[in-house]
Amino acid sequence: MGSSEERVVAVIMVGGPTKGTRFRPLSLNVPKPLFPLAGQPMVHHPILACRRIPNLVQVYLIGFYEEREFALYVSAISNELRIPVRYLREDKPHGSAGGLYNFRDYIMEDDPSHIVLLNCDVCSSFPLPDMLEAHKRYGGLGTLLVIKVSAESANQFGELVADSVTNELLHYTEKPETFVSDLINCGVYIFTPEIFTAIQGVFTQRKDTANMRRMNSFEALQSATKALPVDYVRLDQDILSPLAGKKQLYTYETLDFWEQIKTPGISLKCSALYLAQYRYTSPHLLASGDGTKSATIMGDVFIHPSAKAHPTAKIGPNVSISANARIGAGVRLISCIILDDVEIKENAVVIHSIVGWKSSIGKWSRVQAEGDYNAKLGITILGEAVAVEDEVVVVNSIVLPNKTLAVSFQDEIIL
Amino acid sequence: MKALILVGGFGTRLRPLTLSVPKPLVDFANKPMILHQIEALKEVGVTEVVLAINYQPEVMLNFLKDFESKLGIKITCSQETEPLGTAGPLALARDKLIDGSGDPFFVLNSDVISEYPFAELIRFHKSRGSEATIMVTKVEEPSKYGVVVVEEETGKVDRFVEKPRIFVGNKINAGIYLLNPSVLDRIELKPTSIEKEVFPKIAADGKLHAMVLPGFWMDIGQPKDYITGLRLYLEATRRRKPYKLAVGPHIVGNVLVHETAVIGEGCLIGPDVAIGPGCVVEDGVRLSRCTVMRAARIKKHSCISGSIIGWHSTVGQWARVENMTILGEDVHVCDEVYSNGGVVLPHKEIKSSILNPAIVM
Repeated sequence: MGSSEERVVAVIMVGGPTKGTRFRPLSLNVPKPLFPLAGQPMVHHPILACRRIPNLVQVYLIGFYEEREFALYVSAISNELRIPVRYLREDKPHGSAGGLYNFRDYIMEDDPSHIVLLNCDVCSSFPLPDMLEAHKRYGGLGTLLVIKVSAESANQFGELVADSVTNELLHYTEKPETFVSDLINCGVYIFTPEIFTAIQGVFTQRKDTANMRRMNSFEALQSATKALPVDYVRLDQDILSPLAGKKQLYTYETLDFWEQIKTPGISLKCSALYLAQYRYTSPHLLASGDGTKSATIMGDVFIHPSAKAHPTAKIGPNVSISANARIGAGVRLISCIILDDVEIKENAVVIHSIVGWKSSIGKWSRVQAEGDYNAKLGITILGEAVAVEDEVVVVNSIVLPNKTLAVSFQDEIIL
Repeated sequence: MKALILVGGFGTRLRPLTLSVPKPLVDFANKPMILHQIEALKEVGVTEVVLAINYQPEVMLNFLKDFESKLGIKITCSQETEPLGTAGPLALARDKLIDGSGDPFFVLNSDVISEYPFAELIRFHKSRGSEATIMVTKVEEPSKYGVVVVEEETGKVDRFVEKPRIFVGNKINAGIYLLNPSVLDRIELKPTSIEKEVFPKIAADGKLHAMVLPGFWMDIGQPKDYITGLRLYLEATRRRKPYKLAVGPHIVGNVLVHETAVIGEGCLIGPDVAIGPGCVVEDGVRLSRCTVMRAARIKKHSCISGSIIGWHSTVGQWARVENMTILGEDVHVCDEVYSNGGVVLPHKEIKSSILNPAIVM
């Protein structure tokens, strides 16, 4: 079981509104962390994963959004999971490590033995209990979750080199130009409270450098750190890179799925990954039906209890339907997210798309895309309250909120 | 007298500007669009303006509080809970529009700019004994709009024809009406079209007249027409209040510069430019046929034409911005970048050139 003194606090970085322009148009209506994947808000998945850690005492969400945007969610989930979940708002950017340090008093309030740090926009199986055991065995300051990716895509992330025997982190570099390694940083960490000492070390070092070296004016202009305030500390460049190779940081490799949820297109992919995971972790959440009393279900499908689907509709695979949506007779849905209060009328078809809250899809209309999650117009996205009239076809397009489409479109962004 | 301004919906055609503020508050010639109309109404003796809205009432109400006291005119909102078309909002605001005096009231479409000859409209309406008078304007391509067929000598309206396929006339509905209170008795509180359901009945009774709008007219609900509208507005300003326009060796044609804006050395500004409050235009900048909104900064040696630069945005040094580029609020175009028709949503940074018209989300 581990020491009876073991207490774990989880911290989830949720980011902020002006940083999230890549998630438009969906982020025009909802903070990205609250956008639903497989029927649950994005941030819900890491929180549920944290809950599986024995001795979890508190979860903090740290971000730049207004408190009121998270108030309802935080209170509902605290009740549901019987774990205190609290949202803390950063007043100004401190960097990924600086943000953690900024709230150290809250985090250390419960005198935790371990701190789990996660980025909200990571889609993963979050193997936290096993990772925590590994971290305790390694005995270091911190353990990073890592995964192998294709060599071509590795340079979008933090690349790292680990010792294959001891799993120690030997080398770390953020978004390198040349190939370093196909092992990358997943954005999930476990630290001991010593992490705060390490972050504080960075402040002190910065102040000393500024005081001690007399730079001539040209150097002062060139200095990279001149642009950063003293209390802006980035986890990757300022903590992980310098501490690599010093027997302080270790790695834990996951062989499961992992994605960064940067765009709406990728969120559709992640929704499918989580739906597939439900089959193992929470099969009761998945819908079933064979067309007799309820709609025909194929593959992994989530339907909110308050949503209604006509028995002649065929739904799936990879479909997630949110609260109060109404799916009419003869509708076909494949690989899509249908948000709250959407009405899909008879015989419509929706493929590789996200249909925004309160939208309506007309009879025999067709909303679809090629399904390339990474392409700019690879998934069709309809914002809030978009009306697609009967028999209209919308292909590979993005439609901003409150539009009515009376004619067909392809490959367009409609403001 | 009272007036109703139909503010309506989401202003999606003026996105990305309307992603930051509701359409009536988008600046035109350095003033919120709706303020041009409210000021003209006040000048002709209107004491209360009702805004018929169905979107973002809180933002509108805040704006109203500011301007009510400054202008000395009462401004209220009438909020539709479901879309009521072009006539329904009048029924909704009935109690505010009828004050027992029997005076007619104005109804304006919020997207329309013109010289607002309201005093002449009142005289025309009274002299014809009209129940309802609509202003019409002559256009080049009438079939893009709804044509009003008018009897030349009497000004009586014969009928309306929506997007006619053959030529029936070249006057279209300018979106400015003067109505007697009795018109409200003809409108039910449900989605109703004033052109299709209400006016034809008044025309059948011989009581609907049309007055040709003198001066310019533009529906500035979309960016291309917004830019054309500014040219027309500034031409009219040159005729009527030339002292409002900027003068100087660096000014060409009609240019409006807010008194708090700062312009550097070696610039060439105009024709048809509006520079808003708090803007900074640095040295060596060329601006033509464009609008620069409040607190925007245009850096040295850059060149902007045929575009709209949104509030708090910046255009970098040596940047070239043209061909219907629309920058939303807080957009930053980096140095040396070229934008050919980029439409950029708020809070973005443009680091590489946009060679062909494209939307940047």
